[in-house]
Amino acid sequence: MSDITQLLEAAAIGDRKASAELLPLVYEELRQLASARMANEAPNHTLNATALVHEAYLRLVGTADVARWDNRGHFFAAAAEAMRRILVDHARRRNQLRHGGGRHRVEFPENLATKATTSEDDLLAVDEVIDRLVAHDLSVAELVKLHVFAGLTLEQAAEVLGISARTAYRNWAYARAWMFQQLGGNELPTK
Amino acid sequence: MSTPPVDVKSIFEKALECSDPSARAAYLNAACGENATLRAQVEGLLVALERAGAFLNRESEPDPATGAFGPVEPVSPHIPADGVTGTFASAPPATSETGSYVAREISLGVVIDGKYKLIEEIGEGGMGTVFLAQQTEPVKRLVAVKVIKPGMDSKAVLARFEAERQALAMMDHPNIARVLDAGATEDGRPFFVMELVKGVPITKFCDDRKLTPQQRLELFVPVCQAIQHAHQKGVIHRDIKPNNVLVALYDDRPVPKVIDFGVAKATGSQLTDHTLVTGFGAVVGTPEYMSPEQASFNQMDVDTRSDVYALGILLYELLAGWPPFSRKELEKVGLLEIFRVIREQEPLRPSNKLSTASGLPTLAANRGTEPRRLTALVRGELDWIVMKALEKDRGRRYETANGFAADVQRYLAGEAVQAVPPSGWYRLRKMYRRNRGLVLAAGLVLFVLVGGVIGKI
Repeated sequence: MSDITQLLEAAAIGDRKASAELLPLVYEELRQLASARMANEAPNHTLNATALVHEAYLRLVGTADVARWDNRGHFFAAAAEAMRRILVDHARRRNQLRHGGGRHRVEFPENLATKATTSEDDLLAVDEVIDRLVAHDLSVAELVKLHVFAGLTLEQAAEVLGISARTAYRNWAYARAWMFQQLGGNELPTK
Repeated sequence: MSTPPVDVKSIFEKALECSDPSARAAYLNAACGENATLRAQVEGLLVALERAGAFLNRESEPDPATGAFGPVEPVSPHIPADGVTGTFASAPPATSETGSYVAREISLGVVIDGKYKLIEEIGEGGMGTVFLAQQTEPVKRLVAVKVIKPGMDSKAVLARFEAERQALAMMDHPNIARVLDAGATEDGRPFFVMELVKGVPITKFCDDRKLTPQQRLELFVPVCQAIQHAHQKGVIHRDIKPNNVLVALYDDRPVPKVIDFGVAKATGSQLTDHTLVTGFGAVVGTPEYMSPEQASFNQMDVDTRSDVYALGILLYELLAGWPPFSRKELEKVGLLEIFRVIREQEPLRPSNKLSTASGLPTLAANRGTEPRRLTALVRGELDWIVMKALEKDRGRRYETANGFAADVQRYLAGEAVQAVPPSGWYRLRKMYRRNRGLVLAAGLVLFVLVGGVIGKI
């Protein structure tokens, strides 16, 4: 779809309107992919946010454009934001069902979180504090979004953000400490 | 806050790298000086990290300071560190030029296990990189060494890598690349050594030498037999395609060799693999070669007949020059649509694909013949054989890779083949399902008449 490519290119040179237009397109794509997966899955199958995001990338940008690294950042930033909504929605629904839904059989897979086992509680916790982190330290927040929501490894996120992997790992440690502190410091909030 | 966040952050990050609490305390003294607020902020974060425990702490992430994998052991900054922690260890990790995080870089010239000197990178898969290497003992020869990629040390990936190595080691067949050795590098990265196949993809080999359809079929039979061997050992290849079937010359005779069981799945194994992504932007399996059951998101339902399907695509390409759903067509539609096409769309018969191909003269030349003769040769029995392997309903395909090979051999011997065009009744049923309204409206007599006509095509 060349629309996406054009938007990415525009966003890369600073067109903020293009950046804004990316998100709904990416969100729609990811939402469709996510529900297609869930419709076909056995109940205990763990879905993979990384796979969803990469598929969306392939589908929207196409294999020819995969090598255009300059534009990836905007795609993944939009994807991270989109996945955040999808993941958090599902984590909330699951929690509702678990604690309020009674006999209702869980229809969707056990864990829509990224394969590296971000638990639902962690996901919701990050969702709660991420906006504060954006205000506190934007670059660290971007790293967290790519890693937690878009399912990129820290190395991949580093590449997308244009920082060294070492910096990414260090910032991640900082992010964990900071977020944990924000959440109350001792234990995660109970459900 | 009066202090810019970056100061707290950099002091915190540097403090993490201190080797022990006293070194850390000393560093904090130097960095924070008299600024008690600053110091309290940094120490607050250090404590928070220690207490964070399982929060966002995943097996798949290396420890920032040591590169060790596994959940980070919490250590109180106020208790002397014991040897087991490593959380606040000393030397920062080595990084390569690209900034990627490795314990030690595997680079060319490195000697693995004291015997394999890496010469050149020849391939890269999702989990590992394949190098051309010179083995020095006990014999001197060139080999292929596959090393797991850096940063791929999670238990799941290690298990998969090991499963691949074991899958290969179980094979003992002249048309499957042999595993010669296996082990771990000095920094614990698994590797295994394979027979080096100095060959080219089977499609290129056949085109370069302008092999006739008959010669291509003769080369195809041992490939089926190799896959059969794997199936008998309980391994499904899952990624059969020209790049994984290399043809090399041994004593001037062409020998096809199946390589790369990287996505292979042992049928009896506990290890199930739900990951669709093997690397950045890469999807497991190659869309043009994916069977209908693979082209869904439920990967658990794949069996040996998926390999039969992929062999069918391979034969299709050997005969017709292109796979039935070419990359160009697939790229136009996007991944979800790709899956639908593979699952639902009936491919053109190879002879039809040929007769409508734009590059037919070239294709025919590459097959040592002329366009019309080529199409005529493929039409009929070869069509049927290929299409039988490509049935969407896997129960209708060849049951085994050997069954496929046997039918090809029957064709080569001039005997009757088992693959037959779908029976009149079967095609009628298909047509009925697709055009139910029309057929019912037309009435029974017309239905039978139409059925009779269809059956004769």
